[in-house]
Amino acid sequence: MENRLDQFVRLSALLTGFAPLHLLGTGMAETYLRATDAALPDGVLDELLDAGSLPSAGSAPPTGSAVPGAPAQPGGSALAGGADPDAAAGQAIFGDAKLGPVARALILLWYRGAWTALPQEWRSAYGASPRDVDHVVSAEAYQAGLQWDAAGAHPAGARQQGYGAWASPPAALETESAPGTTGVRLPRQAGAPSVTEGARS
Amino acid sequence: MAFDIDSSAIFPIGAATRTTPQIAARKSYDVVIVGGGVSGSILADQLSQAGHSAVIVEAGPGKDVQLDEYEAYLSRFYAASVKDNQAPYPFNPNARMPRSADAMPVTPQTPDDQYYIVQDGPFCTDTTFTRVLGGTTMHWEGKALRMLPEDFDTASRFGHGRDWPLGYDDIEPYYRQAEQELGVSADVEDQRYLGMTFPPGYVYPMRKMPLSYLDQVVARGVDGMRVDLDGDRYDLRIRSFPQARNGVPNPDYDGGKGYQPIGAISTYQVEEGKRCQGNNNCVPICPVQAKYHAGKTLAKALRTGKVDIVTQAVASRVHVDKESGRISGIEYKRYQDPSSPEHTTHTVHGRVYVLAANAIENARLMLASGLPSTSDLVGRNLMDHAYLLRWALLPEIAGTFRGTNCTGGITELRGGRFRERQAGFAVDIHNDGWGWATGSPYSDLLAIVDGQRKHGRDLRAALVSQLSRQLLLAFMIEVAPEPANRVTVDRRYRDPLGNLKPVISFRVPEYSLAGASFGFDLAGQIFTRLGAEDHTTYDPRDYSYVEYAGRGYSIRGGNHLAGTHVMGKTRHDSVTDPAQRSWDHENLFLVGGGSMPTIGTSNITLTLAALAYRSASFIDTQLRTEKAPAVISAR
Ligand SMILES: Cc1cc2nc3c(=O)[nH]c(=O)nc-3n(C[C@H](O)[C@H](O)[C@H](O)COP(=O)(O)OP(=O)(O)OC[C@H]3O[C@@H](n4cnc5c(N)ncnc54)[C@H](O)[C@@H]3O)c2cc1C
Ligand code: SF4
Repeated sequence: MENRLDQFVRLSALLTGFAPLHLLGTGMAETYLRATDAALPDGVLDELLDAGSLPSAGSAPPTGSAVPGAPAQPGGSALAGGADPDAAAGQAIFGDAKLGPVARALILLWYRGAWTALPQEWRSAYGASPRDVDHVVSAEAYQAGLQWDAAGAHPAGARQQGYGAWASPPAALETESAPGTTGVRLPRQAGAPSVTEGARS
Repeated sequence: MAFDIDSSAIFPIGAATRTTPQIAARKSYDVVIVGGGVSGSILADQLSQAGHSAVIVEAGPGKDVQLDEYEAYLSRFYAASVKDNQAPYPFNPNARMPRSADAMPVTPQTPDDQYYIVQDGPFCTDTTFTRVLGGTTMHWEGKALRMLPEDFDTASRFGHGRDWPLGYDDIEPYYRQAEQELGVSADVEDQRYLGMTFPPGYVYPMRKMPLSYLDQVVARGVDGMRVDLDGDRYDLRIRSFPQARNGVPNPDYDGGKGYQPIGAISTYQVEEGKRCQGNNNCVPICPVQAKYHAGKTLAKALRTGKVDIVTQAVASRVHVDKESGRISGIEYKRYQDPSSPEHTTHTVHGRVYVLAANAIENARLMLASGLPSTSDLVGRNLMDHAYLLRWALLPEIAGTFRGTNCTGGITELRGGRFRERQAGFAVDIHNDGWGWATGSPYSDLLAIVDGQRKHGRDLRAALVSQLSRQLLLAFMIEVAPEPANRVTVDRRYRDPLGNLKPVISFRVPEYSLAGASFGFDLAGQIFTRLGAEDHTTYDPRDYSYVEYAGRGYSIRGGNHLAGTHVMGKTRHDSVTDPAQRSWDHENLFLVGGGSMPTIGTSNITLTLAALAYRSASFIDTQLRTEKAPAVISAR
């Protein structure tokens, strides 16, 4: 039997598009599981985990390896072909009035390292936890946010890649020119977004 | 005094906190300096090296430039849920700083009193400065351009702005000194344009930073693009910007002696920060201190043993001797606890006084002290670059979000005869994508997850496509001095310590808007050449929305504050002489951007650092020759 953490990671992989190994590699899985539990009324996360474990959902865990290419990029897309059972499972969850918003909050948690409060209507309908407020889980969580990896970058101010790396083509292009490349990407990718608002000059 | 290379990043333990107000009050210093930013630190360093004693009166807390505190800034930044550019710094109502989030539409005559800067309009600026030890360089981006020779006499040449009492050649040697101290990475071959000259054999301390892949993609569309303007022809190309961040040292520097980059400042030896790692967090805080900040200069000054610092000390009054016009002391309010307005009042004395608290604070302090000004120009001619942003999505993946905030841009249109009609500008290519304009990448993530309801691999594909193709061009537009753009004080508006707050009246001059309008169209042409899809929108409800010639724009503040105590040739048309010495008070120096008569199209810090070096030599001479009796320390 799968333990709860494994279940959580498998669901997270389905939702985020990153492989379980990559998610575990961030070192944040247990923290996020706790943060999610704390932010939700009792039992809701278990419902979501169960939905994520339905046969249709678990048949092909996403590899999350190659960075999917941009559709506008000439020379073929890494997203080529085939029905995606995970997509179907995810759509089912997303379409659910109770589980959909929770799934979206979980995606944002993984991508940003921050919990985003659920909509007020949801809380009225299914209950509210006092920890269901916008908050950054921790400094580490922010740095581990998948948004940086997804952009072929890494967090503003952390996990830097090295002098001058910004001058070479981004990883997204390299993976694309080698279709079929698999395996978990190391978190150390080039570049990084800044999230600051306001002037910088 | 020379330092051995290995100790150059060491911050003497306790040096920022060892001086109490009581100790400082008993001494008479050669120089009293208000403000421990880059201007104040350069003066403290130069004058203490020359054997003079100095005290720095600093409004912010004092432990901050040591590594432990620096790490605390970083953690605070990571954990902050609103990551604006002041997010690393704890809220301190006693030495409050403006935040971009404070900006909102203003109602002239009834300004909003809830923030530090009281905005009297009509334009609302989101400009900021930082009040911690090390000043605004703790948080600057680090572009280090020289001004063009033609920037020093724009009034005579173009009929706009004011002429400097100095020319490029007068400042050039000090530019080199500033480039050494700030540790600038650039190649002379790239920077020799529009008349900028360098002495034979000169090289920058470090080699230029490589252009980002994004720059290279943009260059494919821009290089060779021709612009005809007022009879002049410009062939545009993407050029690297000089940057005050550590790169690859140039072995030819200093006649072949080379250059040793200064890394992270700490009370103990650390290896960090000797080279930029491209993690794109330069604003608001470089995690490894590869970017220059004034703590590096300050540490050097403190190691002379001749510099004291009193921190949490907000200068509140400049005392003047009515007979002689000489300054007799600086009064300050010392708070123990940033969250309590409780404070004690003290005065420090010296032979020469330097205000180095930035253009807004210097003027505020002068005006709050009621100091007479023959020219009536204190606080007037406030300048700051106007930024126009235009953003688009490139047709291909360009690796946006990698590298330092900005590595390259377009500089040809900084100068030329068109400046008779419209402002010049420099164009930045933002390696951090649309962040400044739209809040990317978070805003994109929300749109894709919440709006488009994507998850899994679709989500990742959409994000790569959306983020890695972002292009943002930022036009940094010249703003000429206008006396009506000004800092004042008003007895109705005070901070918790009872200090008068700065009140700002500002309007973006038409001359600058003409430049903005031209820039907007140029960006459109560049996007067309690149096949990029324009996504620019300006919201008429935006606090900084302005209309010009039938079109509306959002103009962002540049944080390049200047002009409030302009230098000039006579006491009737300027506040300071060319040495930044006050015409009205012979032992008072007003140092920083405030002395600059114009700002051209270069981010001002390299120039104000050069001016600080120049003033240091005048102050040194003045201290040596002045007969003013020194009161012997009673310690
Ligand atoms: C986001 C951002 C990006 C920037 N990027 C660039 C760039 O790329 N290139 C560039 O050239 N410039 C840039 N700048 C501008 C640059 O930071 C400033 O020009 C420079 O720091 C000014 O130095 P200063 O020492 O004169 O003033 P500051 O750095 O502002 O230092 C003033 C000092 O005085 C202290 N002080 C203030 N009031 C008082 C008081 N009443 N009593 C005692 N002490 C006081 C402050 O705490 C501070 O330590 C940027 C600024 C910002 C905000
Ligand atoms: S890119 Fe990173 S390492 Fe380089 S100066 Fe900016 S923050 Fe520092």
